Amino acid sequence: MGAFKLGKMTISGLFKQPETVQYPVQTKTPPTGLKGHVTNDVTQCILCGICQKRCPCGAIEVSKPNRTWSINRFRCVQCGSCVRECPKSCLIMEPTYAPCSTAKHVDVFEVPEHHKSEDVIKTSE
Amino acid sequence: MGFATEFTTITLQELPELSNQRKADGWRFVQLLAVNTDAGIDLIYSFMKDGLLVNSEIKGVTKDQTVPSITNNFLAAFVFENEVHDLFGVNIEGIAIDFGGNFYALAQKEPMTIISPEQKAAREKARKIAEAKAAKEKASQEAAPSEQPAPKPEVEQVNLEAKLAGMDPEKAAKVRAAMEAKAKKEAAAKKSEAKTDGEGA
Amino acid sequence: MGKATIIPFGPQHPVLPEPLHLDLVVEDEKVVEAIPQIGFVHRGLEKLVETRDYNQFIYVAERICGICAFGHSYGYAETVERLMGVEVPERAQYLRVIWHELSRVHSHILWLGLAADAFGYESLFMHCWRLRERVLDIFEKTTGGRVIFSVVKVGGVVRDIDAAQLAEIIRVLEGIKQDYKQIMDAFLKDSSVMNRTVGVGYLSFEDATNLSMVGPFARASNVPYDVRSLGIGAYGSLSDFEPIVDAQGDCYARMKVRALEVLQSIDIIEEMIARIPSGDIAVAVKGSPADGAEAACVVEQPRGECYYYARGNGSKNLERMRMRTPTSQNLAGMVKALEGCDLADVNMVILTIDPCISCTER
Repeated sequence: MGAFKLGKMTISGLFKQPETVQYPVQTKTPPTGLKGHVTNDVTQCILCGICQKRCPCGAIEVSKPNRTWSINRFRCVQCGSCVRECPKSCLIMEPTYAPCSTAKHVDVFEVPEHHKSEDVIKTSE
Repeated sequence: MGFATEFTTITLQELPELSNQRKADGWRFVQLLAVNTDAGIDLIYSFMKDGLLVNSEIKGVTKDQTVPSITNNFLAAFVFENEVHDLFGVNIEGIAIDFGGNFYALAQKEPMTIISPEQKAAREKARKIAEAKAAKEKASQEAAPSEQPAPKPEVEQVNLEAKLAGMDPEKAAKVRAAMEAKAKKEAAAKKSEAKTDGEGA
Repeated sequence: MGKATIIPFGPQHPVLPEPLHLDLVVEDEKVVEAIPQIGFVHRGLEKLVETRDYNQFIYVAERICGICAFGHSYGYAETVERLMGVEVPERAQYLRVIWHELSRVHSHILWLGLAADAFGYESLFMHCWRLRERVLDIFEKTTGGRVIFSVVKVGGVVRDIDAAQLAEIIRVLEGIKQDYKQIMDAFLKDSSVMNRTVGVGYLSFEDATNLSMVGPFARASNVPYDVRSLGIGAYGSLSDFEPIVDAQGDCYARMKVRALEVLQSIDIIEEMIARIPSGDIAVAVKGSPADGAEAACVVEQPRGECYYYARGNGSKNLERMRMRTPTSQNLAGMVKALEGCDLADVNMVILTIDPCISCTER
């Protein structure tokens, strides 16, 4: 029993470095592997559609005829299933959070036509 | 202390007796849950003692049956009994703290008894897979007595059917078409082979 | 004896982080009876199991609650693994326990902060949450998320913690321990705290056992029940585990049990880190649960025992998934503890049960 047991901590707090950062001026460097947002390396993508199937919230849409890969970031929950399941490892979880926005939108990635790597080697030979 | 689970089936009439007995033996009430099935609602009462979790299941409780409450022995069950009443529409009689259907503020009555199209599709798919599997077993049993080591084409066909049952119909049709084309191609190749053999001789 | 009056309490009340409504029947300043009402945030998450396959549902399961997010994904995965007969690699089991105990540390410190806030000790509240932030930083570094980790999958975990990070965790936890002991002193020995909590909201051992209470709420009434002592998963390899109990049964005892459990959890994490085996962190899970197969499992969440039940229907989607959360079990005890307390102490009694209404309703 006694009063003001927190005294030591409270007073020493006056002389310590603050635990917080002055946000807009100082920022924390995000740790590697932080679940920020998903991007697609379109040069590797083969539009297989596995990510679309695995996505628990239907955020990803793959269109083979239009050669587009689109993600609705307002549906995405950053679970990372698509990144793990991607057979070409072309999906990447970037450690920065998606910026906020005033309107809902879908991010569309155009996937260029690309030949299989063996074909490229063959033609170069 | 280890952990073990047990599933037993009881009838609705045995419930009050079970609850009294569990109470007398000093078991702890764990929970009550309901599962919506075609035959009615399954109620599962769980009790635990010394790391042994016993789930007693009452199968197929219908709307016109009345389930006696166990809150006289285990007051903690009032939450679950109200929940089962609100979400599944099971009639439970004599709950110690009865909310009379106002426990959850719901937009829809008995939402958990509605079979969604997804659930229907999943059940259908599971049934088809089970049927195909049974057919496959039957075929393999029939094939077993005949002393032919090579797998019969019918068995292969059944295997394929089992796989196809799990796919959506559009895809299944595509696979079937591909298989037919492949069979035709093989037949054609065999013919041409036979031809060249004949020419060689 | 005065006239009985009914005072509505909640669902929106400054002391309640979550929507719980109580009709308090009071005579003068004494509560005679309390009738709880929930149902304001029912989201139908159990129904969602029909539209998500068993791998995807884990992300729904961990969104049941923000504080026990890891516990729910862990319990769900454990149950589905039992349903399908999957053996999880030992390292994955250890990692799950490490994260689960870290969740307990952060949950209990968060709760202590809320309790301090409820009896008006604002600076204690801030110090608690400052410490909790360090645990969240560990989560951020090891899982990539601060609240929702998405790190468990059916068959193991998705991320490993390497040796350097494990050493870092121990270092951070030691730092937390130093500060935490001072905070614990304030909670357990400060007269201003004791005046508000000692003898308030008493629940006897008999009531706690009769009402089947779980978690720190039951342990504060001397019920020595803790799921961790059953030795499920890597808890079985702990050298020594004794549930922390207290015989007082009042708000102070409940606070004491939680305060001591933080230190116990830190010890468990340190032991797990010292003994973690190397090896795989996941096994591939193929196929789907059999039609009519059933499995049940219990997990000790920060708030108490949580029960999971799964039934398969032969397809990728489960037929039924059920979580019985600790708060729904403890509601009956809360009603009992409220009987006879002062109107001014109602918030303390409710808070010391640590209700998680979102968990209860799913």
